[in-house]
Amino acid sequence: MLLENINVVDSLMLTLLTLVVYQSVAWVQQKWQLIWLNPMMITIVALIPYLLLNNINYASYRQSTQGLNALLEPATVALGYPLYQQLKHIKRYWKQLIAILALGVVLVITISFSLTMLLIHQKEIAIALSLKSVTTPIGIALTEQLQGDSSITAFSIMIAGFSGALLGPSWLRFINIKSDIAIGLSVGSGSHVIGSIILSKNNPHQGAYSSVALIISAVLTAFIIPVLVPLLLPLFS
Amino acid sequence: MKNIIYTIIAISICLTAGKLLNSAIAGLPASLYGMLIYCFFLQLGWLTPDKVHKANQWIISHMGVCFIPAAVGVINHFELIKNYGYAIVVIIVFTTFVLITFIGLLAEKYLSTKSESVTKGY
Repeated sequence: MLLENINVVDSLMLTLLTLVVYQSVAWVQQKWQLIWLNPMMITIVALIPYLLLNNINYASYRQSTQGLNALLEPATVALGYPLYQQLKHIKRYWKQLIAILALGVVLVITISFSLTMLLIHQKEIAIALSLKSVTTPIGIALTEQLQGDSSITAFSIMIAGFSGALLGPSWLRFINIKSDIAIGLSVGSGSHVIGSIILSKNNPHQGAYSSVALIISAVLTAFIIPVLVPLLLPLFS
Repeated sequence: MKNIIYTIIAISICLTAGKLLNSAIAGLPASLYGMLIYCFFLQLGWLTPDKVHKANQWIISHMGVCFIPAAVGVINHFELIKNYGYAIVVIIVFTTFVLITFIGLLAEKYLSTKSESVTKGY
């Protein structure tokens, strides 16, 4: 084991605590179907005061829970299955679909990165905010690869998820966008899993299109962002 | 049980291949190469979709807890949130709506006639 500063018992306790809190919130959310009771948000809100009160710094928490972190990689590989399922269904119009989603990815990365560099002037934060329209596991993997800050990415993804999922459908109705495919693809690419869950409740067709958008957008982002960020960066130095 | 082991071995092989690819040609993170290889193997029929279905759905619906160690990192960013919290939220919400509007308009114009039934993946 690589645990130097912390003993194994503390480490197991912290991992167990994280698991228990998360699973309890997830269970309650499932049971009562409350979308705002986000297990990740509630777990973090509960864990941070606990860590601060017990003088556990982030480095030792991260080291203690490295088991959970290690599972992130195989879990991300598992997303290949929904990707496979969705590819079967977009055969007829894949060219237009990929072109539209890729343009969206380029647009959202460019404006998020530029606005953050202009207002906050920190590259790590700009990278994190550029990856907010991606499903969480892929967002975290890409942020770490580009040396951004993955905790900011995780939060940004959650804010993008809630704002777009709750207000997006009304906004689209207001600007006269009515087709299931347009509503599903746009809310799916902007608000990923949270958008997908909310749309699926009211209209399964929209929910299905949003799953297509969220998985394809994430793959497109993985190819686009390592090229786009080095192009944008010199503009702000 | 047999299918669970099948899924675990399938994912492990794809992740290992992803790691090899990542160290050979860089580019994408290893887990993303693994994901694409997994999808590719399913497409080629080298892996049986029915065998991975159940365990795979379980992994996806429980993966959220793996994000917690990364997300707790905000503990080191109270200063940033105090100074720029509003700016960060405004940037996120604004760009999310730009994206939703952009994709919505294009899809309505170019794809709304091609309504084809799709099934929900997860």
